Amino acid sequence: MIQFLTQLVNGVALGAGYALLAVGWTVLLSAARLVNFSHGQMYMIGAFVTWWCMSSLGLPYFIAVPIALVVVGLVGFVLYVMMRKLVIGQNLVNLMLVTLAFGYLITGGSSILFGGNPQQIASESMKQRLYVLNTYVTMQEVLIVIAAVALYAITWFVLEKTRVGRMVRGVAEDPFLARLYGIDPAKVYAGVFVFSVASAALAGALIGPRHPILTSMGFEEVIITFLVVVLGGIGSIIGGLVAGIGLGLFIALFGAYVSPAYAMAAAFAVMLVILVVRPQGLKVRA
Amino acid sequence: MKKFLTSPLGHVIGAVVVFAAMFVLPIAFGGGNRIYTTFTLIAIFAIASYGMDIILSDLGEVSLGQTVFWAAGAYTTALLVIKAEWDPFLSLIVAVLISMAIALLLGMVTIRTREFVFSLVTYASAIIASAIVTNVPLFGGSDGLVGMPFLSIGGMELRSAAAFYPVALVALAVVLYAVARFRRSRLGLASRMTHLNPELTATMGFDGRKTRVLVFMLSAPASALAGWLYAYQRAYVGPDLLDQFFLLLMLTAVILPGKRILFGPLFATAILVVQQQHFSFGGDIDKIVLGGVLALVLLTSKDGLAGWFRAIAAAMNRPKATEPASDGPPARTVLSQERP
Repeated sequence: MIQFLTQLVNGVALGAGYALLAVGWTVLLSAARLVNFSHGQMYMIGAFVTWWCMSSLGLPYFIAVPIALVVVGLVGFVLYVMMRKLVIGQNLVNLMLVTLAFGYLITGGSSILFGGNPQQIASESMKQRLYVLNTYVTMQEVLIVIAAVALYAITWFVLEKTRVGRMVRGVAEDPFLARLYGIDPAKVYAGVFVFSVASAALAGALIGPRHPILTSMGFEEVIITFLVVVLGGIGSIIGGLVAGIGLGLFIALFGAYVSPAYAMAAAFAVMLVILVVRPQGLKVRA
Repeated sequence: MKKFLTSPLGHVIGAVVVFAAMFVLPIAFGGGNRIYTTFTLIAIFAIASYGMDIILSDLGEVSLGQTVFWAAGAYTTALLVIKAEWDPFLSLIVAVLISMAIALLLGMVTIRTREFVFSLVTYASAIIASAIVTNVPLFGGSDGLVGMPFLSIGGMELRSAAAFYPVALVALAVVLYAVARFRRSRLGLASRMTHLNPELTATMGFDGRKTRVLVFMLSAPASALAGWLYAYQRAYVGPDLLDQFFLLLMLTAVILPGKRILFGPLFATAILVVQQQHFSFGGDIDKIVLGGVLALVLLTSKDGLAGWFRAIAAAMNRPKATEPASDGPPARTVLSQERP
């Protein structure tokens, strides 16, 4: 029972992290029909900039995290500027490939900048524990859950209730007609792309302290993001949060009771079944 | 000129010239072990890239799981040859069949998916395959399978790189011939049509979904054959076969020259392998080079180097602004403008 409870708590923390990783992609995909294969590398840089700010500049964790968001946001903006023509032209095949190439390039560049050794983000929150019944969670895990719920709530609110959200939804619906209302799709795409990479960086900065970090991280994160986005119903904000936590619980429980090595493979198998049974669920929802 | 180059006769003459050059060049460069290894790797990676080529150029989809077929070819060969002491060519047949079976399975699963969903599912298959070969003891875990014997043909062991090279060259010729034949076949036509106009495919009586699965299955043997060769060339197989490096190499080989150019992937592979083998700056900078080249080509040209050459040729042929306007019709009429 204690083990089950521990895995449940672990699963929620893991899943909130997955949801955090996926929120930017959900918005990006529904608004710009853009799939960013370097999303995982943005997660990696988010974690590494946080670590670097703390270990080299001696900054506290809560200052290092916003710096990481700004740095990755800037990297994302530069990438967007380079891809602008492809995004506006909706050249989806080339966009996929160019982001994949960027991801590979960033991995090489980060290894040179940060070194090839595993590093640990020394967040104080990892040492603080909160006891729940017979098990405990670290404050870092609590932070991840709070950040995920808050970010989803803010994203939902902005998209559904504000003028900015209407602009994003308008561009998602029809970028050409949206121009008639004075909306510049290029600016909306840029904003959504920067938000997407910054949210991946936030995920990296918050999840990073839980494990040693490596510059080779990122490829599996893209698949996790994809799983969350597909399981949640592409483009659905609330679905993303539910699917992220659901996936976290599934992986934690499968890992504890069946096999940790094949937990991700099993989650992927679930997705394959969905692909076969409900392919219509994979249409991009604006 | 362009008509001649893309005609069957042009391809035959091109093939004779290319293969004669590939046969003579290692000798011209001194014929050392390192030179023959470089040429062998060019042939092997080019073969693997042709599997990617027909998916990307003809079907218009991005398969990010092509390394699965390549790894399936190498692992099947290593397992059968090392553990069961099978004949190399019998193991090649089984490797090809297994890669086609995996392609059929993946093709059936992704039959109703397009674009990024197709790419991500195939991408995920490579990550899952990597988890399997790393964790299942049969595949040797992270150490892989070591102890591949030399390839032997008719009782003769091909011990040196120079002796192995002709095998890779023959395999490359077979694959090039198959790709050229495919592009002239009914399936090749259906594949292009599925890519360019799915509605027309149905009108003309082709089954788009069946075409997609068949082309996907046809792409697997080329990558598996390359895996078979690589297992012998390198003498061991390991989970690194599923690394991003090989995927990026195959993608760049197709995209760099411009899609659907028969000798394009061979040409691009030669550039990339020579850089990695003889002008390498170390693993991390090589990653920047490979990723950078792919990104640069995609960002600056719709159609790789061929697109660059066309743009340069068009710029050179463009009449100068100071020249008086001709009375004739414009050289090129824009019939349709792409929506921005």
